[in-house]
Amino acid sequence: MSTAPSLVGPDRHGLFNFWPRHNEAIYRRLETKHAWLEERHRPPGADGESDPLEHEMILNIGPQHPATHGVLRCIVKLDGEVMEKCVLDLGYLHRGLEKVAEHKTYQEFMPYTDRMDYLSPYSNNVAWCLAVEKVAGIEVPERAQWIRMIMCELARISSHLLWLGVGLMDAGAVSVFLWAFKYREEIYNIFDEVCGARFTVSHSRIGGVASDLSPTAIAMIRRFVEEFPEELAGWEKIINRNKIWIDRNEGIGVLTAEEAIELGVTGPNLRGSGVDYDIRRLEPYLKYDEVDFNIPIRTEGDSLARYFVRMEEMKESVRIIRQCLERLPEGPIRNDNAKLAYPSKEEVYYSMEGMIHDFLYTDVGVCPPKGAHSYHAIEAPKGELGFYIISDGTGKPWRVRIKAPSFSNLQGLEYMMEGAMIGDMVILIGTVDPVMGEADK
Amino acid sequence: MAENERPKTHEALKFYFTPVDPPRGDELNPHAKATTYVPEVVEALKERFGDVIEEVELYAGEHTVRVRADKIVEVCRFLKEEQGFNYLADLGGIDRFTDEGRFEVFYNLVSIERRKRIRLKVRVEEDNPVVPSVTSVYRAANWNERECYDMFGIRFEGHPDLRRMYMPEDFEYHPLRKEFPLLGIPGSLPLPPQTPGGPLTYDPFARAHGHVPPPGFEEPPAEDEEVSEH
Repeated sequence: MSTAPSLVGPDRHGLFNFWPRHNEAIYRRLETKHAWLEERHRPPGADGESDPLEHEMILNIGPQHPATHGVLRCIVKLDGEVMEKCVLDLGYLHRGLEKVAEHKTYQEFMPYTDRMDYLSPYSNNVAWCLAVEKVAGIEVPERAQWIRMIMCELARISSHLLWLGVGLMDAGAVSVFLWAFKYREEIYNIFDEVCGARFTVSHSRIGGVASDLSPTAIAMIRRFVEEFPEELAGWEKIINRNKIWIDRNEGIGVLTAEEAIELGVTGPNLRGSGVDYDIRRLEPYLKYDEVDFNIPIRTEGDSLARYFVRMEEMKESVRIIRQCLERLPEGPIRNDNAKLAYPSKEEVYYSMEGMIHDFLYTDVGVCPPKGAHSYHAIEAPKGELGFYIISDGTGKPWRVRIKAPSFSNLQGLEYMMEGAMIGDMVILIGTVDPVMGEADK
Repeated sequence: MAENERPKTHEALKFYFTPVDPPRGDELNPHAKATTYVPEVVEALKERFGDVIEEVELYAGEHTVRVRADKIVEVCRFLKEEQGFNYLADLGGIDRFTDEGRFEVFYNLVSIERRKRIRLKVRVEEDNPVVPSVTSVYRAANWNERECYDMFGIRFEGHPDLRRMYMPEDFEYHPLRKEFPLLGIPGSLPLPPQTPGGPLTYDPFARAHGHVPPPGFEEPPAEDEEVSEH
């Protein structure tokens, strides 16, 4: 049997052989991992003879490979072109967010959530704020909830657009990437207008949002929801009838409903397998129980099904945004209790109390009761994103557990990879849509 | 090991500005969900397992059932097969930093058909943190248990592949334990050199730990810039 390969390349005197025990453990796992596929290829008892035509090889893909969408490392054992076994190695982007959270006040941790799923920062902000609001029992004004919904759905479109563009680029079609990025740019411009930042928005606040939507921003969102569906329909015309795209996705990475549930896969990957699990329906947060939208579900469970689910989701997001814009009420955008939420900037600059409250909120912030613990999840573009917060009665959480959807999905990816062709690996990673910032925490 | 010794207390906030109230289960929470309120499941668990159920908590409309650690697999199997909780959403550890029952592991289970959610907890001691693995019931627990082992050092008995999830195997500590410092332990992990051809770095936060980072780290002065001599 094969052992850990020696590293080829210039001799660096052991300088760059970081973490030898780590690599050893991975290769040992690859050896001992039980895969049914291997038994089919090599019936038990035939171990002694070595077949000269056997093309077994261990291949390391990543963490720097561009097709792994970040720093995912896949160690696969190939038999010819078939991936017999796969071991995923995570942690190359591990920043210890859960540890950091224990040393920050609740509001201070919010910008860190931007860096988790960096393709849809707004969803993460909202997820964190809702989790804190639940554990501390803070009410959010109506208008802020609608604003959050609009921005969350824009973030979903933005994230799915990146998945679409990059996924098709992985399959060899570069033009869709450019079209998708044109509309991502529009969304970034909206974020810029609303929050003052394009990428890491940090716009949501505990108890509300930082600033109101300006008339310009509303006009920009309106224009986006007018233009985007037509454009999307145009893309669908060209992609849905593209033989290369269909052939490369159909029947690839099939997960049945039972397997998907068993592996804990979440989000569009789960719905692509025919399971109606969407947090927006299961436990409606914000105002999702008041708007009319569908949860797209496909039953095939292959890569193509997940493609259709995400395309449909973008259309549903546009529908939700339209309804939000119609129903956006007037009113405050943050909770008015100075112990629970930041005062507005006018208060801070022009009143003594406002300044004191601002100072206290920055220094100590919201203090949930001692021993309180609660879990709040939202449907992020990648799936169920939840925070389980345990409070010790101070301004900093005692423990924060991040339930990251990409982490759960990657576990499904490891299973999907086994038995697939090496050429489909890139498609499979694309279809699962992992973001390593989130999976690695 | 001297550096592994636990400090007596964790670092508390210097300044409290509100008196601390204990959490109350009967309070109305604006974000409470119908899915997390599952008295009928708790009753079924109590009826079936009796004194295996150690504690039932209710906060923000969420039921948390603490069970005895050695029975967690049976409880999970009962919930999965007879109560329909077929989806393991999350699993993780908690460091309570107490003398007794220091570590907790929680299980966040979902029933997709019944649209319900329940949280289980088990408690283990510091000197022998071993919990039976639930991977035989929920395959999804595999990576979560690995992560919990990595971060807290809680070992899961019967886990097929108990490696570290994020940190390399060469790392000897469990970072989410409360005694582990936020800036890490210098020398615990070799990292790439900070300058090309420089030595391996053993402390990414040298200055914060009271050491001077390697001199090559600073940019050389620009050509036209006068180097002041003093």
